[in-house]
Order: sequence, then C-alpha cells, then structure tokens
Amino acid sequence: MSPATWVTLAAVLAIAGGGALSTRALRWGLGAQAVGAAALGGAGLWCVVGRAASTPFVTGAVWAFGLDPLTGFFLIVLAASAVPALLFATGYLPGTPAANIVAPLTAGFVLSLVGVLTARSAPAFLTFWELMTLLPAATILATRHQASARRSVFQYLAITHLGGVGVWVAVLLVTAHDGLDASAGMADAGRALQIVVALAAVVGFGTKAGLMPFHSWLPRTHPLAPSHVSALMSGMMIKVAIYGLIRVLFEWLGAEPLWLGVLLLGLGTLSAFGGVVYALFQHELKRLLAFHSIENVGIIVLGLGAAMLFESQGRPEWAALAFAAALFHTLNHAVFKSLLFLGAGSIDKAVHGLGLDRLGGLLRRMPWTGGAFLIGAMAIAGLPPLNGFASEWLTLQSMIHVVTGGAGADPSTRTGGHVLIAALAGGFATVGLAMTAGLAVLCFVKVIGLVLLGPPRRPQCADAREVPWPMATATAVMAAMCVGLGLTPGLVVPRLMPLLPGLPATASPTGLTVASLPGIGTVEGGLSILGTGGLPAGGMVIVVGGLFAVLLLARGRRRAAAAPVWACGQRVDPVLLWTSSGFTKPVRLIMEAVLRPERLVSVDEDRGVPQAVTHEGAVPHLFDTALYRPVKARALSAAAVARRLQSGSLRTYVLYLLALLVGALALGRWL
Amino acid sequence: MSGQVVAAGVVQVVGGVLLAPLLPGLIQHIKGRLQGRRGPSPWQPYRELRRLWSRSPVDPEGVTIVYRLAPPLVAACVGGALLLLPIAGLSPAWPLGHDALVLVSLFALARFASAVSSWDTSGGFGLMGASRDLALAVSVEGLLLAVLTAAALPTRSTDLLVLSDAGVGAAAWASPAHWLTALAFTLVVVAETGRQPIDNPDTHLELTMIHEGPLLEYGGRDLALLQWAAAARHWIVLVLAIELFAPRPADFAARVAVLAVGLPLLCGALALVESWQAKMRILRVPRLLATGGGLCMLGLVTWFFGGRM
Repeated sequence: MSPATWVTLAAVLAIAGGGALSTRALRWGLGAQAVGAAALGGAGLWCVVGRAASTPFVTGAVWAFGLDPLTGFFLIVLAASAVPALLFATGYLPGTPAANIVAPLTAGFVLSLVGVLTARSAPAFLTFWELMTLLPAATILATRHQASARRSVFQYLAITHLGGVGVWVAVLLVTAHDGLDASAGMADAGRALQIVVALAAVVGFGTKAGLMPFHSWLPRTHPLAPSHVSALMSGMMIKVAIYGLIRVLFEWLGAEPLWLGVLLLGLGTLSAFGGVVYALFQHELKRLLAFHSIENVGIIVLGLGAAMLFESQGRPEWAALAFAAALFHTLNHAVFKSLLFLGAGSIDKAVHGLGLDRLGGLLRRMPWTGGAFLIGAMAIAGLPPLNGFASEWLTLQSMIHVVTGGAGADPSTRTGGHVLIAALAGGFATVGLAMTAGLAVLCFVKVIGLVLLGPPRRPQCADAREVPWPMATATAVMAAMCVGLGLTPGLVVPRLMPLLPGLPATASPTGLTVASLPGIGTVEGGLSILGTGGLPAGGMVIVVGGLFAVLLLARGRRRAAAAPVWACGQRVDPVLLWTSSGFTKPVRLIMEAVLRPERLVSVDEDRGVPQAVTHEGAVPHLFDTALYRPVKARALSAAAVARRLQSGSLRTYVLYLLALLVGALALGRWL
Repeated sequence: MSGQVVAAGVVQVVGGVLLAPLLPGLIQHIKGRLQGRRGPSPWQPYRELRRLWSRSPVDPEGVTIVYRLAPPLVAACVGGALLLLPIAGLSPAWPLGHDALVLVSLFALARFASAVSSWDTSGGFGLMGASRDLALAVSVEGLLLAVLTAAALPTRSTDLLVLSDAGVGAAAWASPAHWLTALAFTLVVVAETGRQPIDNPDTHLELTMIHEGPLLEYGGRDLALLQWAAAARHWIVLVLAIELFAPRPADFAARVAVLAVGLPLLCGALALVESWQAKMRILRVPRLLATGGGLCMLGLVTWFFGGRM
C-alpha cells in the first residue's frame, strides 16, 4: 500500500473518531475531524502529482476501495471545503440546538463523501452515494422542526431519489457490461446502450449536482442546513455528483459522441444562465447563494461539454484544457462558495436573520468576516485577479475554441453539418456564459451593497460584533485561498490537464505532461496558451496593482470634512434606501417576457381618498410552476389509477401472481 | 525589441494617457458644430481635468474605504487595459499579455468598483445609474463576446495582436462574416463609450444618468480620475475598432496613419449619430444589442458554409 492509502485510512479513522468524540467534547471532536480532513487533502495532493499508484475499478458484487489521481483531486476539493467548514463549526455549533447530534452527523457526511470518491466497485459506490444523500437530510431534521422545513427535506429526498434512479441505472448497466475495468469502457456494448447510460448518468448525477432542470430541491434544502453543512453541501456534495458524471461519461462510456457534448453545453448554459437569473431575485442570502451553486455547476458542465466536443474534433490539447477548466472551477467554486456560506453563517450568528433588505453596514462592524465575504463575492462574480476569474477565463476560452475548432482558413474543411452544430452550440454557450458573468457581477454588487455597505438597516446590524476567532479565521483563510488560486492558474491547470481520462497513447505512465501538448506553457504564475493572448495573472496584478498604488498616492489625503449624500436636498430616511428588488428592476423589466414577474398593487380607498397602498411583487420560479407542478399532478393522478389495482381482495392478488408467472414464462420463451 | 515595437508602446502609453481626453472633447466640439453652435473647444476636457485635480474632494457622510478606493481602482483598470491594446498590430511585451478576454475583465472590474462605490454612499441617484449600467453591461458583454468569437474564426485566436493582423489587407473583407462582425462591433462602440442612443453623457438630470450616475458624489481628484477613465475608455474602444475592423494596408507606418486619421473620423461619426439619434428607452437597448448578436451568429453560419464574396 502506498503512503497515500495509509494517510487516507488514518484520516478516515480521525474523522470517525472525531465524530464519536464530538458527542461529548464538541470542540475537540470537530477539531479532530478538521485534522482528518486536512490529511485527506494531503493524500489527494500525493495522488494528483502522480506519486501514488492508481487502483482500478473492479466488476462484481464486492467491496473495493482505492485511490487514483481523479479521486485525489476531489479529495483536495473536499479538504479545501471541509477543513475551514469544520474549523468554523468549532465556533459556530456550540450553543446551537442539537449541536451534539449535528457534529457526529457532519463526520458521517464527510465520510460518506470520502466513500463515494474512493469506491472502486459498484456496490461501494452506490451505498455511499445513498448515505451521502440521506445524512444531510438527517442533519436538517435534527435542527429544524418546522413543518415547512420537513416538507422541503421530503421534496429533497423525493427529487434526488427519483433522479437518483439514473445513477443506479447508469452504474449497474456499466457494471453489467464490464465497463468498469475494461480500458475501452463500454465501447463494444453497442450504441443504443451507450445512449441509455449517458442519458441516465446526465439525469441521475445532474439531479444531485443541481443541474437545471433537475435542480428544484437545491435552493429549498441548502439554506435550511446549519451553515457549515450548507458549505459542505454546496462546496462538496454537488461536486461529488460532478465526479460521478466524469467517471461515467469520460471513463466508462468509451465514446465521445457529438450529441452528448452538445447536450452538456445546452444544459450547462441553461443552468448557468437560469441559476444566476433566479439568484438575482432572491431576498434571502443563503437561498441566493444556493441558486448561485446551480449557476456554477452549469459553468463546470460547460467545461465538460467542451472537453467532449474537443475530443470529437480530435484536439486533445484543448480537450485537456477544457477538462482542466471544469476541474479548476470545481475547486474554485468549492472554495468561494464555502467561504460565502460560512460568511453567511457568521453574519447570521452576529445579527440573527439573513433577509437581504434588513442587513447593511457590516464591513465596518465585522471587518474580518466582511472583508473575507467581499473577496469571496468578487471571486464568485468572476472578477480578476481572483480564482473565479481564472477558471471562467479558461472556460470561456474553451467555448470560443469550440466554435473556431472546425474553422480552418481553408473553406473546404469547414463544411459538414456536425461542424456547424458544434460551432453554433459553442457560440450560444459563449454568449450565455458572458451574460452569466455579467449577471453574476450585478447580483454580487447587490449582495455586497446590501450586506456590507451603506447604513445598517436594523438595530442588530448597528450593534453587530465580530464573530469568535475560529469562524473569522476560517473565512479569512478561504479568502486567502481565493487570492492564491487566482494568482497561480499556471501552477494548477497543468496538473489538472492529465486527469482527463483516455488522453491519447503518447501519455507517459504518470499521465500526459504539459510539455508534450503543443502550445501550452506557464508564465509568471499564469498561463500561456497558443490561440489566446495568455493569462499572466501575476503580471496583471503587478501592472494594475502598481498603477492603483501610484494613483492612490497621487490623489493624496482627504482634507475637507464629510458632507451629506446628494438626494435633491432631502434627508435620506431608511425608507428611502434602495432594496434588493429595486436594484434588479432593470433586469426584471428587460426579461419580463421570460420571467413573468407578478405584481399586485392594492389601494385602500375611503370615499375616493387613498388610505393605504400595498404592493406585492414576486418573480415566480417558472420551473416549479410550469414543469414540476404539472408533473407532480400527473404523477398523483397516475398513482390514483394505480391504487385501483390494490383491491385488498386475496383472489385478485392470486390472479396477479398467475398473470405475472404466465407473463414471465412467455417472456422467457419469447426472448 | 525593434523600433516599431517601441513606437507602438509610446503610442499606447502617450496616446492613451494624454490624447484620450481629446476624443470626447472632439466629439462635443463636432456635435456643437453639427447643431449650429460654436461648441466647446476640443481641449475643454483637459481644462476640466486640471480644474478638478486642483480641488480637494469631499466625502459623503458614512462611507467606508470601498468608496475611497474606487476611483484609483477604476483608473488603474482602464490604465491596465490601455497596455493590452495593439497599436498597428504591435505591442511591447507588457507583463499583462494581450488577450481580449483580459481586457473585457478589466472593464468589468472597473464597472464593479464604481457600482459598489455607489452602494457605499447609498444615494438613490448613484444606485439608479449603477443598476442600469450593470443591467446593460450584461447585454454588452454578451455582444462583445459574440463579436470576439466571430472575429476569432479565421485565426482561431483571441490574441489581440493576432486578431489585429488578421484584418490587414483586402483578403479579410472577402468573407461576409467580417462585414457582419464589424457591423455588430459598432454597437459595442456606442455602448461602451456611453454615447447616444444608449446613454447620454451630457445629461444633467440625475434621473436619466447611466454611466454618470455613480460619479455623482465624487469631486476633486477622484472625479478627475473617473473622468479620465471615461475618456480612456473612448480611446480603447475606438482604437480597438480601427485595429480590428478598419480596412488598412500591412505596412506599419500606414497602419499608424490609418489610426491617426481614423480616430477623428470615428469621433465625427459618433457626433453625427448623437446629433441625429435621440436616447432610446433603456429597455429597448438589449434588443438593439441582441440584433448585433444575431449578426455575429449569422456571420458564424456564413463562415461555416465557406462563404466568400
């Protein structure tokens, strides 16, 4: 066994022990879990740099576990999200209801994530997959007793289990056709079966990842969990679904059909754009963040779709780059989304309530948490020089190169329907992703403004105090990671590129080296890629930061006293302050035809004199009203029909048995 | 580093920093003439900058460091973007690289800084401008990326230097995609420079401001930085329009000459559009920009059918 395996085993023991310990000594138990999670990250790093041998998957009803570079990468992502979350929990959990139940459940949740990632056989994978779904539900039920919360948990379990059928179908079909351990995957299994497996995987893993249109559970459930569990769910659980998707589509399927890449681009664009659009109109911070998880999963899936299209175009270097973009965004999203969820937890702890229109002025009052939250918000908005920008840059470049892929200078090479289809899909995805980035900036400007800046809009916000050090440190560390990863894409991306399964045979035993791919190099911590102008992240910071410092010095100090804000001579009363819905109104009006916002103004009149005016506005979630509700209604009526079969009469059941037997015999004979 | 590269670098820095304010000045001047007035002198922006630089700024009450850092950050982002611009297809090896998407992202960071500063003051007019600016930026960025994608077709590159060289000579104009993309880029020019019919830079009515709204509270050197940044954005967008889409020969000196002639011509064209178009309803703007996006997609399709004229 390699050292990485030993470290992983020790980490698993530490997390399990920490979970057991945390029922009695809460802080020590959570600390032990954090140490275990950090060790997992170390083991993962060991695997990614290629020092550990890869354990292959095995077919059959056996329990098998092991490591390989892809698992290692996701263990790093797990550590990046879990270590700060557990550190945060040492300050956050004590004093909250059911803390000594939540802490061991957290350990169990982390272990189930590790189980899915290290599983090397179908039974192990599916067992931990189900545990991973159930444990967060248990955590929510332990802390929330309202009927609405229980209903949301039920919806979560119902939707993820219905969608989860896809996971079972895909994994079991792959196992049944020896796709797990064959190097060519299911290449010989026939086209029809490959289509079934691919679609089942997209539905199954897509549901768990929160990919639109299978996302309905995500914004209901993530906000309910305790903040550190929300961070783990958004930071890691949906990433494990991405891991499963990668295994099935890239490793076990054994084919890179064009239509699948186009399908992934379409779903990715829908998720990215739809997620951010609905995020804009949320009025509760954690719910807003949950919608942004849908957006970011969309961006990750865009990268995967592009990788698939590049493979079908025969461009391995861009396939590896697009794949690396998806993985890099996976890591980045785990960091900044966990940071934002933890920051939201800190803010909730400090001011009790996360309604966006009832916060304000927290940057001044909670400088550490507020500062970290500001950096996280800039990172998720894809602004340079932070990590979100680096991975979105690479994803956008991949989209553009999908379009130009079939576009040589020679017109004769450009014809053919499949080239045009890929190019058009890439073109729409490029525009969609660019607009998504613009909307994300709008959304997080709003969040920063309403949460951190301006006057406090509630007495509790005026008296807010900085949270205890473990919580403030956890968010500060993650903010530093946002900056660090943003400045060093050149160190990260080349190590992620060889993780693409099935790179061409020129690969060395430890995987393809960057040097063997044409036109890709690193420069000043950034990337230099042929076909782009390069992303020298460090150089950008030096130039723009240097200019900024010079201009700051040139401007000099303030001399005059402060004066009131210009409001046409009025005093700015709290009722005149801008709200969340006010700031997003232009977008709401522009997209009115699609979003169908609801607005109700009622005027209470007494003999022609208005006494009171009430205004209600909402942007309904169209997926719920137009997709889920009709499906649910049909399913219920179908169930009502099916119920007639259950007559309760023994004779009828005997008849059913007979019919079943005859049917099975006939089927056996006929097949 | 050859002499031409040094010359390109000098034009980048000197032109971007010193000549940029001349562009909005020129537009105002020509616009005045077109409207039968004498109009302000083209040098008026320089006088304003000098006056503003000599004054001490006044902060609104209750602002944080975010408000104070925004103007230098906006100017630094635009200053960085100046160095990304190709001049006659050349640029010294600044540590920024020369990628088109990096330029877009620096503009986004500048927009972010100015919008966040208006949340810091919480003044209604600033936020009104910021919310409109960001909402329109969504469509502008989408269109800009569509244009860049279509422009990247012949060379398979988003490198600004490569893109600039690809449009040299008559060959590029043989494909309809180039025509359609150039047409779409004119919409980007109008939107990014904040000119009519999309925005009205001359407005003194707070309710109609877009780009000017978040600047409302600033004064003194802060405002000078922000106004210079607005002028430098004119420079960047117009130079980009010429570098990517103007018909021009391959010779370095001739390309610089095209730049020198093209910039005043484009200023005249913008002034003409401003005099003849009223500001459109803000909700109509995305539709106009979507038309540009449609043109790019059409260009894409013609390209893949091997379209030649």
